This record gives sequence, structure tokens and C-alpha cells, in this order.
Amino acid sequence: MGRELAARHHKYDSLVKLARHWLEKYADRGELLRRSAQPVRAAIPTAEPLNFHGPLPPIPPRFTVVAADGSQIQPDRHGAVLYYLINIGSLVYRHGSGEAPLACSEPLLGYAEEELYEDGLLLSGNLLDLRRDIAEVTRLADLCASEPHGPVVALVDGTLLLWVLEERSEEWQRTQVMRYLDQLGRIQESGAAVAAFASRPRRSEVSRLLHLASVDGDAQRAIRETNPLEHLPDRAIFETLPPGARSALFISPASVNQNFYQPAGQTVHFFYLNLSAEEEEPVIARVEVPAWVAEQPDQLALVHAAVVAQARITGDYPYALARADELAFISAPEREALEEMIATSMMRVGVMPTPSPKAYYKSLTRSGRRRYGR
Amino acid sequence: MKNVNLRVGRVLRASTRGFTIGCAVMQPDIPAFGSFVRADGATPRSAIYGLIYDVSLEDDPFVRQFISANPPEEVVRDQRQNRQVPIEVSVLTVGCADGEHIYHCLPAQPPITLDWLYQCDEEEVRAFTARFDYFRLVLEAREAPADELLAASLRFAAAARPEEERARFLTEAGRELSRLLASDLVRLEGLLRRLRAVTEVV
Repeated sequence: MGRELAARHHKYDSLVKLARHWLEKYADRGELLRRSAQPVRAAIPTAEPLNFHGPLPPIPPRFTVVAADGSQIQPDRHGAVLYYLINIGSLVYRHGSGEAPLACSEPLLGYAEEELYEDGLLLSGNLLDLRRDIAEVTRLADLCASEPHGPVVALVDGTLLLWVLEERSEEWQRTQVMRYLDQLGRIQESGAAVAAFASRPRRSEVSRLLHLASVDGDAQRAIRETNPLEHLPDRAIFETLPPGARSALFISPASVNQNFYQPAGQTVHFFYLNLSAEEEEPVIARVEVPAWVAEQPDQLALVHAAVVAQARITGDYPYALARADELAFISAPEREALEEMIATSMMRVGVMPTPSPKAYYKSLTRSGRRRYGR
Repeated sequence: MKNVNLRVGRVLRASTRGFTIGCAVMQPDIPAFGSFVRADGATPRSAIYGLIYDVSLEDDPFVRQFISANPPEEVVRDQRQNRQVPIEVSVLTVGCADGEHIYHCLPAQPPITLDWLYQCDEEEVRAFTARFDYFRLVLEAREAPADELLAASLRFAAAARPEEERARFLTEAGRELSRLLASDLVRLEGLLRRLRAVTEVV
């Protein structure tokens, strides 16, 4: 196993070297690759050279970061009652103010028939995730709208690209995405910038772009021929970014981006960012911004500076996002307390809550194992 | 007697000998070691009196991250004001009241979970320390640093009185201690030294 791991490590190093060599070699081929990148799910280049390094802009003395994150309790058909809970945590952090940030936790409980079902489907799994994502961005838009004027950056964890079930109709997908994009539009109207932050990103879209460049931008060849960089995460390529610097901007090749975001003027761009300070090991994150941030140098610089300033509070992750996650998190005791409250309210009106036999026996067998004798 | 403005926190757990309360924020004077506090008793107008003998902060891994990082003021305030880092305050029971009289003895029942604990105002402290029978409960306490606690409580009790009465009050307290600790002169000497220090402060 040791030999196998050592060989893999050696191979990984050589792939990283190859990718960085290609990044330099094909740095000015962006224009040529732009058209063929999307069909091979490769990062779509912008006007910036592929090997562009944007140094850390000056961090403004006063600016605000608004972060929101969500968690949920899925409906449990074995539970005593069918309900879901979405809990949105948010933090408004005013840099340079010396004030305590504004922390908030906002639960949304769904139990009525019309809240639990959508087109006859129980609101669970991906459908509930979708509701949570929209609730997160709505909360951000509300906070941005009520924030006094000044530089404001709204942050979400992960991605700005809504993941919608592809087996549903295009119309249904469009409706869901438009609900999300409307909220991004509200953030834009408020004058704030918005970004998504991904810690330790696993995507290989720039790796695919470099492979495409190595076959002269021929998408058919890129599909046919094995990509040696297929499983190389982009972040490995960008570990040479200077502390605080960002990579070139790219456009996400995701089909949802092309089909829905682009026509709405919200095309998602992304860059990689080294969060570390001088003489520290590189910490590479991925930051996504919509077109209206990417295309405005002041807004882009604000996002760049704000993300680094926030991440350096904890070391490698935006403080406001860590706190928003904490505020959103529903612990097991909190869930138990909620279910007790629901059961009590049912009993008050004469309804005895009963879990399914499966849930009942699970509660017995999982409450603590006992063994007698040997 | 009730003073709703000086709430310390709510009762977490309790026994007749003492109780622990939780609070989210520590203010300059609340809670303070040796100060007199009151919880409502089980019956109307009844009360349970105690002395704060320990204030502790629970460990928190998120806070640990900032210990050596020189965090910005916003983070310090967020951690102190917004995050529910529980502060636990331990109280030694030293008396009770039925609405008319104050007794220096253990109550029949402890306070109940989530009862409010109040800081006693000066009038209450003067009324409670009009006698010294509670000394025995403090001196016999095993869970609290008894001698330090008694000296600290006498400092609060003296400070609650007009300046011209303080020296006489502390002298009387010393006499009572001499009577109670007649068979333990080493301990008595230590306590009287602490009382002398209190006299110089107040």
C-alpha cells in the first residue's frame, strides 16, 4: 500500500508540473478555446490570459460582509408527524466598525399540505435543498437591501449555480432558477456585490481546458483522447499563486449557466484565490461571482479583498460563513426539542402523535446497547 | 425587596445547599465572587439567598482558534455578545426568607430550573447581614473556598452600609468569628487578617 501511495504521489506531482507547463504554454490561447470549451465541460476563458495573477487589492478600511447559510430537517415518513424545517443563519459583519456583528437565525417550518407538496411530490431531498438555497439567497438579498450605503459583499457557501433536477421539464427548471436569479438581481439593485466561496474545491474545469489547449482546441479530439489531467483538481495548478493573489477569471461551463444564467445577465464567473499570508502554505479556494461583478473592476476587487480579509480572521475560511453555518446548524438535541414541542401541541388538541413501528423500534434499539454475560 | 433590574442569570441545576446558574454575558460587577444573590422561593414572596463562590467559562473550540491570533474587535464582540458561550456561576445557599423574616438556614426546597437569580441591592444586603448566623454555613461549606468567600461577602456587606458604620460592622463580624473559631486559632488568625484587609479597602 505504501509503494502504491508513493507511486500515486509521484504521478500526481508530475501531472501538476504538466498542468502548470501547459498553463504557461497556452496562456494566450483563451480566445481560440472559448468556443470549444463548453462542449467538453472545460472552464471558458475570459479576456484575461490563462496564467494571469491578480495581486491582493488594498483592503478597504470600512466595508460590510453579509453571509447566509442554511440547514434543514427532511420530512420523515416514519416520524410522528410529517414536517420539514429550513433554518437560515446569517451574519452581518461590518469591518472596521468595532461593533458586534448582527447575528440571526430564521427557521421556516413547513407542515401544511400546500407547504409539504409541490406538483404532488413531497418536498424532500433535492427539492428541499432547492428551497433552502433560494431561502439563503433571499435572506442575503433582504439583508443587503436593509444595509446602509457603503461597500457590501454578500457571501454564500459553495456555489451560485443552482443544481436543478435535469429530469424535470425545462419550464420547471427555468421557474426555479429564475426565483434564485431574481434574488441575485435584488442584491445587484442594492449596490452590493455577491460571491460564493468554496473551500478545498474539487472541480477540474481548468484542467480540462488545458487538455483542450494541448489538442489545439479540437473538442472532438479532447473528448476522444484520454485527458491525463482528468482527475487533477484545479486548485493543485494554482498553488503557485502568490499569497492573497487570484487567478484569471473563467466562466463556468455548467449547462444551467449557459441555459438560464447567461440570458439573464448573471453568467457565473469564477477564479481561484490563495488565501494564505506571506510565508504560509498556500490555501486555495474557488470564488464564483456573477457577470455584473466580474465585469466591474471595483466590485471584483472588493470581493477579492473582502474574501481574503474574512478568511484571514480564522486562517482559511471566511469568518462570517463559519458563523452563519453555526447559526443555521440544527443539533440533535434541538431537533428532539422541536419534535417534543410538536408532539405537545398535537396532544393539546387531542391528537396522539405516533411514530411508525420502524421508527419506534429504532428508538428502542438505538437508545443504548446492553449485553449480559459474555 | 425584589429588584428585577439586576438579573444575573437563570438556574441551571440546584440543591438545597447551593445552585448553579448560567448567563451569557459577564458585566463589570455581575457576577462577582462573594456577592449576595437571591432566587425566588417556591411560595409567593419567599426567597433563597446565596453567595457567589465560583464563576467559570466553558471551553469552546471556536474561541480557542482566536486565542493567539489577535482577533479584530468585531470578532471579540461577536464571541462575547452573540455566541452563547455559557458562563456558569456557582452559588452557596446561606439563607432564606418567607416574605417577612430572613432566616440564616438552608431552605426547605431549592430554586427551580430556569428561575431568575438577582443581585441583591444594598438594602437587602444590610437586612440579610444584620445578623451573622450565616457564617456557620459558609465556614462549613466544603465546595467553596470558605474563608475567602466569607471575607469577600463581608466586604460587600460593609460597602452596603454608611461609611461611619463600616468599621463597627466589621469589628462585630470579627467578634462573631472569634467565637465560632475559638478552637481553630490558625484559621481564625487567617480570617482576621483578611478582615483587616477588608477594613482598609472599605
